Amino acid sequence: MKLFASAAETRARFSLTAFLRRYGTLVGFILIVLFFWIQRPQTFMTIPNWVNISRQMSILGVVAFAMTIVMVTGDFDLSVGAMASLVGIVAGTTFQSGGSVASAVTLGLLVGAVGGLLNGVLVAAVGISAFVATLGTLTVFRGLALYISGGASIYGRTIPAEFSSFGRGTIALGRIGETDLVLPNLTILAFITLVLVFIVLNFTIVGRRLYAIGGNMEAARFGGIRIRRLRLLSFVISGLGAAVAGLMLFSRLSTAHPTQGEGLMLQAIAAVFLGMTLSEESQPNVIGTLIGVLILGVLANGLTQMQIDTYIQQISTGVIIILAVTLSSLSQQQGHFGRWLRRLFRQSPADSS
Amino acid sequence: MSANTLLFELRQASKSYAGVRALIDARLDLVGGEAHGLIGENGAGKSTLIKLLAGLEQPDQMTTRLNGQDVDLSDGSAAYRLGFRFIHQELNIAPALSVAENLFINNPLPSLAGFLVDWATLRRRAIEALERLGVKHIDPQRRAASLSAGDAMLVKIASAFIGDDARDEPLIMVMDEPTAALNSAETSLLFDVIDRLRARGCALLYVTHRLDELFRIAQRVTVLRDGRVINCHAITDTNTSELIREMTGRATPAKADRGADFGAEPQPANTRLRVTDLRTDSISGASFEVKAGEIAGLAGLVGSGRSELLYALFGIDPLLEGFIELDGRALPPLTPARAWALGMAYVPEERRSQGLFLGDHVSRNIAMPHLDQLSRLKTFIVDSRANPLSRQLGEAVRLKINSLRQRVRQLSGGNQQKILFARAILAQPRLILLDEPTRGVDVGAKYDIYRLIRQLADDGASILMVSSELDELIALCDRILVMRGGRPAEELPAAGLTESQLLERCYDFA
Amino acid sequence: MRKLGILLILLLVSTAGIGLAQDAPTVAVMTPFLAQPGTQIMVENFEASAKAKGWDVNVIDTNEDIAALVSRMEDVALQAVDAIVINVDPTQIEPGLHAAADAGIPVFGLDSGAHPLLVTNVTSNGYTMAAETATYVVDRLNAAGEVIMFIFEPYPPVQKRGAIARAIFENTPDINILDAITPSFDNGPLEGARNAMEAVLLAHPEAGSISAVWAAWDDPALGALQAIEDAGRADEGIVIVGIDATEQARDAIARGSNFEATVAQDFAGMAQKVADLVEAHLGGAMISQVNHYVAANLVTQADLSG
Repeated sequence: MKLFASAAETRARFSLTAFLRRYGTLVGFILIVLFFWIQRPQTFMTIPNWVNISRQMSILGVVAFAMTIVMVTGDFDLSVGAMASLVGIVAGTTFQSGGSVASAVTLGLLVGAVGGLLNGVLVAAVGISAFVATLGTLTVFRGLALYISGGASIYGRTIPAEFSSFGRGTIALGRIGETDLVLPNLTILAFITLVLVFIVLNFTIVGRRLYAIGGNMEAARFGGIRIRRLRLLSFVISGLGAAVAGLMLFSRLSTAHPTQGEGLMLQAIAAVFLGMTLSEESQPNVIGTLIGVLILGVLANGLTQMQIDTYIQQISTGVIIILAVTLSSLSQQQGHFGRWLRRLFRQSPADSS
Repeated sequence: MSANTLLFELRQASKSYAGVRALIDARLDLVGGEAHGLIGENGAGKSTLIKLLAGLEQPDQMTTRLNGQDVDLSDGSAAYRLGFRFIHQELNIAPALSVAENLFINNPLPSLAGFLVDWATLRRRAIEALERLGVKHIDPQRRAASLSAGDAMLVKIASAFIGDDARDEPLIMVMDEPTAALNSAETSLLFDVIDRLRARGCALLYVTHRLDELFRIAQRVTVLRDGRVINCHAITDTNTSELIREMTGRATPAKADRGADFGAEPQPANTRLRVTDLRTDSISGASFEVKAGEIAGLAGLVGSGRSELLYALFGIDPLLEGFIELDGRALPPLTPARAWALGMAYVPEERRSQGLFLGDHVSRNIAMPHLDQLSRLKTFIVDSRANPLSRQLGEAVRLKINSLRQRVRQLSGGNQQKILFARAILAQPRLILLDEPTRGVDVGAKYDIYRLIRQLADDGASILMVSSELDELIALCDRILVMRGGRPAEELPAAGLTESQLLERCYDFA
Repeated sequence: MRKLGILLILLLVSTAGIGLAQDAPTVAVMTPFLAQPGTQIMVENFEASAKAKGWDVNVIDTNEDIAALVSRMEDVALQAVDAIVINVDPTQIEPGLHAAADAGIPVFGLDSGAHPLLVTNVTSNGYTMAAETATYVVDRLNAAGEVIMFIFEPYPPVQKRGAIARAIFENTPDINILDAITPSFDNGPLEGARNAMEAVLLAHPEAGSISAVWAAWDDPALGALQAIEDAGRADEGIVIVGIDATEQARDAIARGSNFEATVAQDFAGMAQKVADLVEAHLGGAMISQVNHYVAANLVTQADLSG
């Protein structure tokens, strides 16, 4: 008995709809880059600008990569932004009371892990929905940050120079023509996070099981996967990611403000959603998340260079997210718009042979 | 419209998914007052054909005529407007609503003053609708959640007769394996309803794997294989073996689907599983044994605790009391993870919701519970270990797939079930728990699964299987435990047992 | 061919659009606080002045996100605008200031605070503004009474106001500071102050137990006014003062409510001043003064009735 059916039957024809559904977001990203390149030929497609973008997106990247792990299991973590702020304040307070860089960083990461553990316990053990649980801890973390700091920013001489210089530092890679090729420390940190998350999700048992939990939680349980433990772990990772991001933000700005990380949460979730459109089964995947982060970063960077009103920037970012998800769900039979689009892209008789 | 006129014609229906041709130039005639059987192995194109009729999928090509006039079914709501009604395996019943409200689910509720629900009229018309089908035992005020699978199906059928203007034109009722989850009593009630529908001039399209049902209710039968219509018979002109041959494309021993080839082996010796006074929320004091190499069956009515006994054994439901011994060793409190690790395996009843990761690869589905063994340093995935093993197991269970990276969602029910078997046998388990191992599986795959189960037992594994198909239990098992009131109430040797005897024991008739 | 055509059209539509020639000097105005009324007035007036001078103005607001403002400053620095005007605490955006400095772009503070990397900063004198309203309260109360303060520590210019008012009250022996409240920003400072004031009123129910409300800016003063009026305690003679003279504050003062006085920062004047300084700098003039102060005036009902 043969395991595989004949291959001839299964050869798929190229279809534009299928192509757009699968790679629409990537095509969109390339179009956006081309657009800015054409509009700002002097400045956009330059090494310094891309170094800029990479540094600007590094913090969001770390949060979004860690968030990808939580979203793989079908949950999400709304508390990451507040956690990033809190960790900045915790590290800043450590500096104020004479702590070293090592102790501030350690304490910050510890706070992130404990906060993530709290989220995990609430969701996986107590059984509260991730939305409610992390909305609650978001408020708790924000309140803690404001309480510890008294609502004021922490900045100035108490922050060790080696801490604040890290966020602005770069590693020189050499010269290309007239420009120095440098890699910001923050970019390197984000890249390391990316690689770690990629390995965990794609090459380890834990990653495979996380996807299984997200795919079918009951089947995962019946199939011998320790669901509670893994969901707990995913929230701890997310909390750690938020803590690293909070330290990065603190280091980059040399200022810890009790609400300075709040913008990260929605953007991170948006980036993961954009990335999900690049997966055949609409699963979160970290390479997709990277593309999502880059789309958000390039849009902000390019639109600023084009002197587009910042409110218009927000509108266009939202529109692009909706458009990407719409394109990727073209196969859904129920949507009238989807059907209309498919009819629009259906092969004309002359094309099909 | 009177009975016995041509109601609906389907011609040249074709549909491909990503280049795979699921339906090729299919034709179908439905006649008022007739039940028309549609049979074929899983993957033969039955589901595709139904989806085209319902407008859930867009055909590549299709001509449809209703009462001689061309109609377009490609819009999802067109079929409903034209009088098509679909009864799926998974019923869309709103469990929190009452039976009466569920009956009105596609219609506006009768109202007072335009906005208050007229509960009295609602109740009266619900009773009328149910009585049209001869159903008198369902109280319209019951919560739908409390309905048995059979009653839920009757409610779904009755909802077709609730419309404001009681339809003059007969309906076309499409039923997809309606008896899969029904017990014998419920099934015979359903058949009575089908007869009444025919008497009202309805045309029925009836999809099933159970050929004996066709000879009971159908007047005509269409056979699909590999997306093509192979033949269309008047039911009086054909017989079971001819239909099986046409479905599978191969000659099959006349009684193969009933497991006649799988006669019991000599009685084995060692006790593999010993269960003492097991109690959970749904199991009340179960004590029994299964020997090495033995196939033990669990028979019983719906609600007698058959699946729940497997849940208890596999650590899915927590134990309140009792002991489980495997090969003489008392087991610690179990979780599914520990059960797999101890050499137990489990094929759940609901393969889609409890067993499979539909969006994931074939090989990953097979390997999922065994990742620790297939990894390096218990951490990293090693596909070069998992893939050859998956391929070997796929061949062992006679899986038919395009590649190991194919998504399980795209496979037929029989092949999906075989994946669960491949998963179960990967680690060469000592004890295999099977819950309805052949539900919704086509004849060919059923045959393969029977052979596999027998083979596993011959190789020394112990098997405990739940099945609602009594003939299957009798043919396959060495011994049958009859479940009543949450525990195995008696044991019967399978040899010489008849279905009616077994059914009597399930009901505990004296 | 049809789908190719559609793709082409999509591409054209997306790349057509804004492509402006850049001859005139471009000035970027950057703030995370554009939703604040004072910032709005400054930005509008700056745009008007800039238009008169023939400049292109690019207004960038990051909706209270400081990190994003730094990123946008880096973008603008690469874009090589001719000058940047900021309305934010410069110590919080130092990487952005460095990026501008590296690109050789002059940065001007508009009511932001002094910083070595700024060419100069144009602002009101926060100390004198707070002194104006605090002494107004002291005078009205005949130097005796219970005062509620609304303050905001995180933003230095506003923090200064609180510090000076506190000093004046504490220097008046018979004036007692009942509470110094930082209003919640969750639903805007007006709502936050209103909620806080309601609580204070409940805690001090007797008439005369609260003599005055001093607010570091107008929004909390307005919130306190609403709370007092809704509690039916408008006739107790509680004196409310704010700072900034927003339109709402002027209305409240004009109708003779408990809100008696505010200080009008000359936002328009500041914007005009910074525009003139930018012009001078671009023209090659040296600017050595760290802060340029633009005078602010107390506003009472008498000033508004005329």
